[in-house]
Amino acid sequence: MPKFTVLIIEDEKNIQTFMGKVLKKHEYRVLCADTGAQGLEIIRSQCPDIILLDLGLPDMDGGEIIREVRTWTSTPIIVISARTAEHEKVSSLDLGADDYITKPFGTSELLARIRASLRHSNRLLTDSSLYIRPYRHGDMILDFSKRLLTIGNTVVHLTPIEYKIVAYLAQNSGKVITYASILSNVWGPYADDDNKILRVNMANIRRKIEEDPAQPKYIFTEVGVGYRMVEDEEE
Amino acid sequence: MKKAFFCDITFTIFMMIAATAISFCFFQFGNKNVANITVIYTLALILTALRTSGYLYGIVTALFCVFAVNYFFSYPYFKFNFSLDGYPLTFIGMLTIALITSTATTSLKQQRRAIADREKALAEADREKLRANLLRAVSHDLRTPLTSIIGSSSSYLEHYPELSDAERTELLSNIKDDSQWLLNMVENLLTVTRINNDSTDKVKKSPEVVEEVVSEAIQRLKKRLSDIRIRVDMPDDFLMLSMDPTLIEQVLINLLENAFIHSGSTDPIDLFIRSKEDRITFCVRDHGKGIKESQLPYIFEGQQGRSENADSHKGIGIGLSICKTIIQAHGGQITASNHADGAEFTFTLPKEKENSVNA
Repeated sequence: MPKFTVLIIEDEKNIQTFMGKVLKKHEYRVLCADTGAQGLEIIRSQCPDIILLDLGLPDMDGGEIIREVRTWTSTPIIVISARTAEHEKVSSLDLGADDYITKPFGTSELLARIRASLRHSNRLLTDSSLYIRPYRHGDMILDFSKRLLTIGNTVVHLTPIEYKIVAYLAQNSGKVITYASILSNVWGPYADDDNKILRVNMANIRRKIEEDPAQPKYIFTEVGVGYRMVEDEEE
Repeated sequence: MKKAFFCDITFTIFMMIAATAISFCFFQFGNKNVANITVIYTLALILTALRTSGYLYGIVTALFCVFAVNYFFSYPYFKFNFSLDGYPLTFIGMLTIALITSTATTSLKQQRRAIADREKALAEADREKLRANLLRAVSHDLRTPLTSIIGSSSSYLEHYPELSDAERTELLSNIKDDSQWLLNMVENLLTVTRINNDSTDKVKKSPEVVEEVVSEAIQRLKKRLSDIRIRVDMPDDFLMLSMDPTLIEQVLINLLENAFIHSGSTDPIDLFIRSKEDRITFCVRDHGKGIKESQLPYIFEGQQGRSENADSHKGIGIGLSICKTIIQAHGGQITASNHADGAEFTFTLPKEKENSVNA
């Protein structure tokens, strides 16, 4: 299997080293850039498979880089951000980043996010009707072709809107999906900005699929940003 | 200032005209008793003095009243006659009423302002005290884990060859634990910067689904303390509440973490959520050794909250004083108490009117 190439754009040397070491240990080829300009240059010349982007760069705004990269490639971008800035996360996701990871993070979390993003980018390329297999996690199976959600042996009855939400999250399992993105995918591009309707639907979904809605097993909330469905187990 | 001035003038003129008009009515309908008319004017005078600020308006009105009674309503009508019996007495009487009422009103107003000022100063002092407590607790609490981190890492670097594998692992895991604790502390402190003390809108509220905030708090906590067990008991209804979710999450995390670490019990922690008409109550209850009665009154005040038999630096002071700051900034209340077998922390958040909430 050829190694995946990861580009780390991060101005903090210590963090760059730490991530680089971990990723090399896990059979990735690692490229590093200290500044946004350098990062863009490497993206153009080396075409990495995935980009880890720190939003707080000295020379340019992280959003600028996302916008620039998205004009010509769909290479997955994972944004690295500080916890308190929800609006920053949302805006970079809406600009086209694939996922985000919050500083400080552990190695296992970092690796899981990278795997999820790589998988989805591959699936995007092959996401024809042939490559639709059920989503599976724990007791939950979501069969996209039958539009059927089962937990254990019981079939869960979802309304059409609820099914659309769950299916969209399952197709992007492991990644955070913003409220805006769900709204426009489920209710169409002219959906209201108010996400209350989405939250009500989500509360109903949770009551149907989770044993304890306050301690969910399948769909997690990223407060202020969106929802994340637990990663598909099958590989 | 200018607006108040115009208000006062308008009011004064209005009262004078009103008194004159009413008196004319009386006069016209046959009641020619000057005493009645004097009473009407006196009433107008008192009202004016009460309502306006300063002495000037009262004095002007008093003068007007005297002249008006003289000119309009005493014989000869529509002429001044200063030689009437008792005229100086009426004049002095009116003037005295105006002065006394004005003085009383002015001093009342001054007192009211003084009370408001004092309340403001008290609130300010309260805030300062909370901040000072926090700083003191922080600087003390930060030093301990840092000492341990620096010590462990330098002994790891300096004595690397002599150390056994087990010792190395121990040093490193100490460093990890202490940094984790520091991170937790820093996150707590960061949340405080989200509270804006100067504006009326202390926190940026948005409508949030209660179960989502609770679930994220528990999820974040479980990442750190994987063997914590929490039983959540909440109504089946869909609850939305206006709040800053990051802050309330921090409160829940602090309370649940305290319950886990300081209760000295491994029983699951209960989290009750109850919806009342005008507020939502959150209650974290552990089944451990409870809080010492002597600590209860000071538990939210920073350093005093440190429990003596807990790990030296893992005090609960800062976490709780931050909880209190956050809940107060939301206009809610937080209390601590003991129940039959353990401690219980309860906080309430006020519900807002549906239509005043915007997403």
